[in-house]
Amino acid sequence: MSEIDSLKAQLESLQSEALSAFDSAADSAALQLLRVHYLGKKGALTEVLKGVGKLPPQERPVIGQYVNQAKAVLSAALDRCEATLSAQGKSARIEAERIDVTLSGRKLPAGALHPVQQGLDEITAIFAQMGFAIAEGPEIEDEFHNFDALNIPPEHPARAMHDTFFLKDLTHGDAAEPMLLRTHTSPVQIRTMKRFLAENGEPPLAVVAPGRVYRCDYDVTHSPMFHQVEVFKVDRDVSMAHLKGVLKHFLSTYFEKDVGIRLRPHYFPFTEPSAEVDISCVFCAGKGCRICKGSGWIEVLGSGMIHPNVMRSVGVDSSEFSGFAFGLGVERLVMLKQGIPDLRLFFENDVRFLRRMGVPL
Amino acid sequence: MKIPFSWLKAYVPLTATPAQIADDLVRLGHEVEAVELPRAAVHGVRVGLITAKQPHPDADKLSLLKIDIGETEELAIVCGAANMGEGDKVPVATIGTTLPGGLVIKQGKIRGETSFGMCCSEVELGLADESAGLLILPADAPVGAQVGEYLTLEEAVFDLSITPNRGDCMNARGIARDLAADAGLPFTDISVAEIAVDTAVTTPRVTVSAGQDAPVYMARRIDGITLADSPAWMQASLLMAGMRPINGVVDILNYVMLTQGQPMHAFDADTLHGDITVRSAVDGEDFAALDGRELKLHTGDLVVSDERSVIALAGIMGSAASGVSEGTVNIVLESAFFRPARVSETRRTYAMVSEASMRFERGVDPAVVAMAMQQATALIIDLCGGTSGEIAVCGDAGAINAGRTVSCSLSRIESRLGVAVPAALDVVLARMGFVMQRDGDLLTVHVPSFRHDVTIPEDLSEEYARVIGFDAIPTLLPPLATTAPVRPDRFIHDAVAGGFLQAVTYAFISADEQRLFVADDGLDIALANPISDAMSVMRRSVWPGLLNAARRNLNRQQPGVALAEQGRVYLRTDAGHDENNVLAWLMTGEVEQDQWYGDARAADFFDLKGAVETWLQVRGLNGRFIADDSMQGLQAGQSAKIMVGRAEAGRIGRVDTDLAEQFDIDAPVFVAELNLDLLPQGKQAKFAPLAEFPAVERDLVFLFDRGVSSEAVLNAVRSGGGKLLTDARIFDRYDGKGVPDGKVSLGIRFGLQDAKRTLTQADSDAASSAIIAAMDKRFGAALR
Repeated sequence: MSEIDSLKAQLESLQSEALSAFDSAADSAALQLLRVHYLGKKGALTEVLKGVGKLPPQERPVIGQYVNQAKAVLSAALDRCEATLSAQGKSARIEAERIDVTLSGRKLPAGALHPVQQGLDEITAIFAQMGFAIAEGPEIEDEFHNFDALNIPPEHPARAMHDTFFLKDLTHGDAAEPMLLRTHTSPVQIRTMKRFLAENGEPPLAVVAPGRVYRCDYDVTHSPMFHQVEVFKVDRDVSMAHLKGVLKHFLSTYFEKDVGIRLRPHYFPFTEPSAEVDISCVFCAGKGCRICKGSGWIEVLGSGMIHPNVMRSVGVDSSEFSGFAFGLGVERLVMLKQGIPDLRLFFENDVRFLRRMGVPL
Repeated sequence: MKIPFSWLKAYVPLTATPAQIADDLVRLGHEVEAVELPRAAVHGVRVGLITAKQPHPDADKLSLLKIDIGETEELAIVCGAANMGEGDKVPVATIGTTLPGGLVIKQGKIRGETSFGMCCSEVELGLADESAGLLILPADAPVGAQVGEYLTLEEAVFDLSITPNRGDCMNARGIARDLAADAGLPFTDISVAEIAVDTAVTTPRVTVSAGQDAPVYMARRIDGITLADSPAWMQASLLMAGMRPINGVVDILNYVMLTQGQPMHAFDADTLHGDITVRSAVDGEDFAALDGRELKLHTGDLVVSDERSVIALAGIMGSAASGVSEGTVNIVLESAFFRPARVSETRRTYAMVSEASMRFERGVDPAVVAMAMQQATALIIDLCGGTSGEIAVCGDAGAINAGRTVSCSLSRIESRLGVAVPAALDVVLARMGFVMQRDGDLLTVHVPSFRHDVTIPEDLSEEYARVIGFDAIPTLLPPLATTAPVRPDRFIHDAVAGGFLQAVTYAFISADEQRLFVADDGLDIALANPISDAMSVMRRSVWPGLLNAARRNLNRQQPGVALAEQGRVYLRTDAGHDENNVLAWLMTGEVEQDQWYGDARAADFFDLKGAVETWLQVRGLNGRFIADDSMQGLQAGQSAKIMVGRAEAGRIGRVDTDLAEQFDIDAPVFVAELNLDLLPQGKQAKFAPLAEFPAVERDLVFLFDRGVSSEAVLNAVRSGGGKLLTDARIFDRYDGKGVPDGKVSLGIRFGLQDAKRTLTQADSDAASSAIIAAMDKRFGAALR
């Protein structure tokens, strides 16, 4: 065998030995050692090149070509094996890092707004969007604002129906009238009108006044503290038709459906004419059910045209201006909307109730 | 108020069904709470004749009855009552009947004997609350007839809620008048035949000295009555109207009041002394009322008196001594009109309400005063016997409310109602007693004397509205007002966003609870008429309410509770009183539960402090927490006042353990409260360019004395760290092994940045040196 053939054979065996070694390399590190072993500065291929010196000069380039070809083949094979091993390594890592995505996440504590707050927010927002200004007033009131200015003089039978909480040794004015906890949000009507007129001279004004009110009455269907929203508008030519329009818009928006409304003549000292307002039953759509006692209607609030005596008490000329007013019980509306059966749930503050019926933020 | 249908029909020939009448009443403004149907309720109960009665073979107290109900076969019925015998007629509930109590009659075996129905007492028929055995029907009751029809049980009873302005409608007559006018049917008053007067019966002389308060007073003596129970029809009638029968005279007066609307009173004539005077009470005068109360009267109270004593508080209640009772033979009847405001004031003074006072207060029809006297006299003579004397009269009923007119512009009424009021409607109002006059736009209305409530033009618009019906008024949105929107405060919303559940607790708490967090400084506001001791004082802190809520939830196996409440607190001030808006928090129990990723963790001071800090931060505010060991109800060393700006705006701390135990809470409880009215306006963020050059962070760890305030440390770092210092915080706190006793190791991480250049090693070295020097100088603290 000639020297050149022997070198060629040597190269071929080296190449196949290397390729099979590459294929059986366990990991990238082993492959790296093999790269050094075969292709490194002192590697096997370089050893083969050392034998080139024994060849006659004209044959040397031929062998050089062979060596370069082998280098290219091995290099490509190494890259290929490297890629395969790397892919295998990644999928092994991925497998090792597999998690149970059904485990509970790390939750932030979730609070919730009280359902009554949600009701207050929704109700005031509807009126605010209709251009009503939001007003508040004191809960400790005097008899003038809670009763007299609202056309409920001391001898009036309606005054007895209010189950008023009086405050001990807390009086008002020279006559030392007892102070009381407001029995309705209507005194805000008086206070707001007085303030508005002092600043602006004359109507128009439209106000929504949410707040807590108190009645000395405590049983399954009465809470001594509850929430009301007073709504009123005073302007030229305000009519009962406007009252009906605002009620219809408000109640349909609040209950998120087109509710029918029915006004029944009633009596309130502070409005004339006065009307109780029923809505078509939101549970049975007016067909008649247990909640509406088969009537198809549910009483939701009291309303009317502001009584001239009330207008007079704040200095509005009732021959020029007119207005409507109504007051609604927030708990009642929330109970109807959310299907909450028992008023007492609102004040027990059971966190299970608050989480279920409240509104998270 | 309950009104049997037949009472209405006595005044007006109504043909509509009870349901239609109920709808009309609602439209007219008379709220119908229920329509009861007593006759239908006993449908199927028939008149039965007992033809045989034998003892039950197996039960001493049961009888076997054979009963003829007019059918071909007699019924065998097992009965437990004892008061019946052969030949008696009794009500028999036949098979399939549902009794008013809900009992459905079925064929059944009682101790082996089959029973084909049930004999009934008054109780089972829904006519009485108790009975002594079966209801034995009169001998002439037709066998087989429906008992409801035979007893003339009412077809329908209207349960009405009469509004306080309609005193004229607190009786059948007034309601009937409204219905008649509305339906265009004739209204006829009940006619009473001329009463034979015996001049030998001498009615006492009547003098009215307080004429303003008693414009009409009538009295009449009736002698020789026999006081017995009123007849069955009247008793049944009164029961259905919700009034308990008492005796013939009282029942008749109640019947007259319920039908005609005139409250009357009967005195036992033999207890009276001399003439009757209607006058103002003498201050301190004694009055022993029928209900057993002994009153000291005041000047101004209107009383009826004889020559010795007060015999009635006018329009409210008679005296105990002068009342009609068993053995009464001679009586004096009273029928009067008392001024509503007078009755109201006296009623309120003595908290003494009666059926009479309710009607007088709301105003009765002056025209009925005499009519009622005649009707009551006729009924008494008819049912109790006796001879009547003359009526003694003071005053003139015709002058009461006479000649009242209201006039206004029709266009004003139309603009208030939003609908036209054509002249055709005047006919209906005329039927209601108004005299209507139109002159162009001017409307003049003469108001009938019984309509005390109609005094101003708006009252007329209500009358028109009742007649038109509110349904006929269009539904229109008014032009929208343009009001600058007010941004909602979001106080409670931000607390809820921090993971708290919003609670709503009562504004009144117990006096004991008040003392838990607030000293007794005399500034409490108590209720004069609390519902209970537990709700008797206006709260000065929301914490007791939250503690009660926490207790309830922990009792219901909640591992942890985080509550927030926004509400008011109340106290006396020099100027009178004040209400402050507060926001309060409570945290107790687990803030984190055992999880696969971590262990349960109980709430501590810093959980709550962080919540408060974040709450302040989102509204552009900063709170300074200043340790304060003197706060009532909070544990020393774990409590602080919260300064916001210059205001001491709140407090935070751990609830004293003894106090928490009073609420059955073992776990540490943390509470905080901010006075929202004291919070300054938060700063609105202004734009500043974002830093372009990198920031540098350095850590330094020092040993401090254990009592050091980290706030003081950080303040010293900030003031001594040079102008490049942007931020400093405590990143580590350690006082365990390796730290000498009485010392604590605090790690301080601070940031440096310059807006114009990248920092060098020299910059951070300079800052570090400055801080080390400051810590040494201020706290004697050395690097660790």
